[in-house]
Amino acid sequence: MASSSSTAAPGTASHGAGTGRVRRQLPTSPWLFAAPGLLVVGIFILYPFVSTLVNAFTDRRTLIPGEFVGLANFRELLHDEMFWIGLRNSTLYVLGVVPALVLLPLLLALLVQKNIPGIAFFRSAFYTPVVASIVVVGLIWVWLLDERGLVNSLLETIGVGRVGFLSDQWLLLLSAMAVTVWKGLGYYMIIYLAALANVPRELHEAASVDGAGAFRRFLTVTVPAVRSTMVLVGALSSVAAFKVFSEVYLMAGPDGGPAGEDTTLVMLVQRTGTGLTGRVGYASAISVVVFVVTVALMLLVLRADRKEDA
Amino acid sequence: MRMPRRALAAAVVALALPLSACGSGGDEGGSADASGKVEGDITFQTWNLRANFKPYFEGLIADFEKKYPGTKVKWVDQPAEGYADKISADAAGGTLPDVVNVSPDLVAPLAKAGLALDLDKSAAKYKKEYLPGAWASHEIPGMEGTYAFPWYLNTGPLFYNKSLFKEAGLDASKPPKTYDELFDNALELADKSDGKVATLANVPTIEDFGRYGVELMNKEGTAFAFNDAKGVELLTKYKELYDAKALDSQALTATPESSGKKFLTGAVAMNPGSALDLGNFKKQAPNLYKNIGITDQITSTGKVNMYVMGVMVNAQTKRTPAAVAFAHFVTDAQNQMSFAKKVAIFPSTAGSLDDPYFTKEDGTDETRVRIAAAKSLKNAVNYTPVLFSEQMKTELRNSVAKALQGKVSPEEALDNAVKACDRLLKQQG
Repeated sequence: MASSSSTAAPGTASHGAGTGRVRRQLPTSPWLFAAPGLLVVGIFILYPFVSTLVNAFTDRRTLIPGEFVGLANFRELLHDEMFWIGLRNSTLYVLGVVPALVLLPLLLALLVQKNIPGIAFFRSAFYTPVVASIVVVGLIWVWLLDERGLVNSLLETIGVGRVGFLSDQWLLLLSAMAVTVWKGLGYYMIIYLAALANVPRELHEAASVDGAGAFRRFLTVTVPAVRSTMVLVGALSSVAAFKVFSEVYLMAGPDGGPAGEDTTLVMLVQRTGTGLTGRVGYASAISVVVFVVTVALMLLVLRADRKEDA
Repeated sequence: MRMPRRALAAAVVALALPLSACGSGGDEGGSADASGKVEGDITFQTWNLRANFKPYFEGLIADFEKKYPGTKVKWVDQPAEGYADKISADAAGGTLPDVVNVSPDLVAPLAKAGLALDLDKSAAKYKKEYLPGAWASHEIPGMEGTYAFPWYLNTGPLFYNKSLFKEAGLDASKPPKTYDELFDNALELADKSDGKVATLANVPTIEDFGRYGVELMNKEGTAFAFNDAKGVELLTKYKELYDAKALDSQALTATPESSGKKFLTGAVAMNPGSALDLGNFKKQAPNLYKNIGITDQITSTGKVNMYVMGVMVNAQTKRTPAAVAFAHFVTDAQNQMSFAKKVAIFPSTAGSLDDPYFTKEDGTDETRVRIAAAKSLKNAVNYTPVLFSEQMKTELRNSVAKALQGKVSPEEALDNAVKACDRLLKQQG
């Protein structure tokens, strides 16, 4: 296999230079090297993707193949109250979580960037939630925020009274957002730390000499220097936030909170499409919507970045 | 840049392979005739039983293989969580085991997809060995036949916390026997504790509507009917309890596990359970165990609710005689009885509940609960309709939650739930 590529390539080059007849032939070896990866991508990404796309136009159920129904699933979506609740919650999640995940990890990175004794401990501590299992994290927060949990006991002690973190639909969503932010802080902090390491110290020194305070230096030196990282974090976190499942599922329960009011779109996909009576076609239609919105979100963030560059 | 033809062909083959694998699954039906020689290898799948009952099942399989030389049973066990999803994946992929532990609601879609063997045709001779109600529990409305052997049954009393009853000035020796008494006691408990102690932790489920005497489906099994006056009456009562904090404020998102925990911690005064729970109380909440009160399930129909487990034979098995023989062996009177002595479950075989083990008192609470449950099982009903899917349960829970929150009236909530469930029923095909 190696010989075919090594003989073909020089031959092609000499023909091109000598006779002007360009005979381009791609060697097979690179494809063979890429084959295992392509196969994995084909089976586990491309095939499910195409299959979901096709299913979205059928009334397929778990055990019944179903028939082509055109746009019926998408028309049904428009009249499905739960779909709109899911879309609302997923959008709110993006709006609530993304600004926090763009800004807070940057501030945290600035705090732990300094080389002072013991700082490694704090860096590791902030990163711990990232490596912790989301199920364990979810359960711990449920215990903390339960009506008889630690947080409510403290609130009762100081006279605020019990707060229904897990029984009020908005507080539940807010609590889930808080967990997402808390769990994501360390991950994005590491990305920011890498970006901050590349900010020239001289810029800060020059700004200090010019009389800029810490806040002004942050706005005029740090932020512009890490702006492209902020865009990256914004894009990554908005996609992740729109596709949120675990936090809300664990805290609000499989039904999606009281009367299903905390259901997110991905939860709806899971609830609709799984089990022996799952509506695979309809769930695929919701998945297609999630995909379109996610891509749109990415493009939006990247476009905003390009505009600022211009 | 063009891709060489060979590479393109390889890519097409790679992509087409999984497609063709999917297309070929599930159309090679096995024989429904169970009369041949019992032999060959079969697979048996249980539902979260390996952890606690490994020796029992290994013994059972060894006995079967000894009784029928030439057979070999491979035992697989799946965790409780996601069991339905595992069965769905196997059924869709054509890898469903030959003999599968199921509940009636799991059997219904499998039978409709032609994956469950009709035992009225293939194993009718065994029918008389089981309690008539248990055998009928795997019949599917709209279909002829019975699609699983009944296995173990379960039911349980209502537990209550005597000290919470006493603190509220109620007579702890006289627990509620009717729904009216239950609702009155619950309101009084909430009132006396300033809303700190709820009596119930769960919103009403389809089973609760059934026990209250609500007609759940029409006679043909083609539409739901739990939005009648009786259904509205029950939900209106629950709304009253919720407003008075007699129904726990987290009930709208409660699961059986979370409400069990609330009962353990004394946040809730009553909780349904089974004989299994007594050991749990003793270990995890000794104070509660000292004050535990046990009373019968409340029902307006005179019949308590029971849960039924079944053993289904895969209609596509290549070893129908062995699979049917094994499913019958697992569920026969002798083996069910020995399983019942290992864990607090009840056999579904005729006459087994008359065994002294289920009729003779020995002075312990466990035996008292067991005897009472066995007695009530003789005319118990599995109220949950076999066609009531997980999606329908969610629709009902969400509608009930809206009524309790006051967003819609109980009547409107149940109308919406029935409409949604009927739509899902039609989509099930």
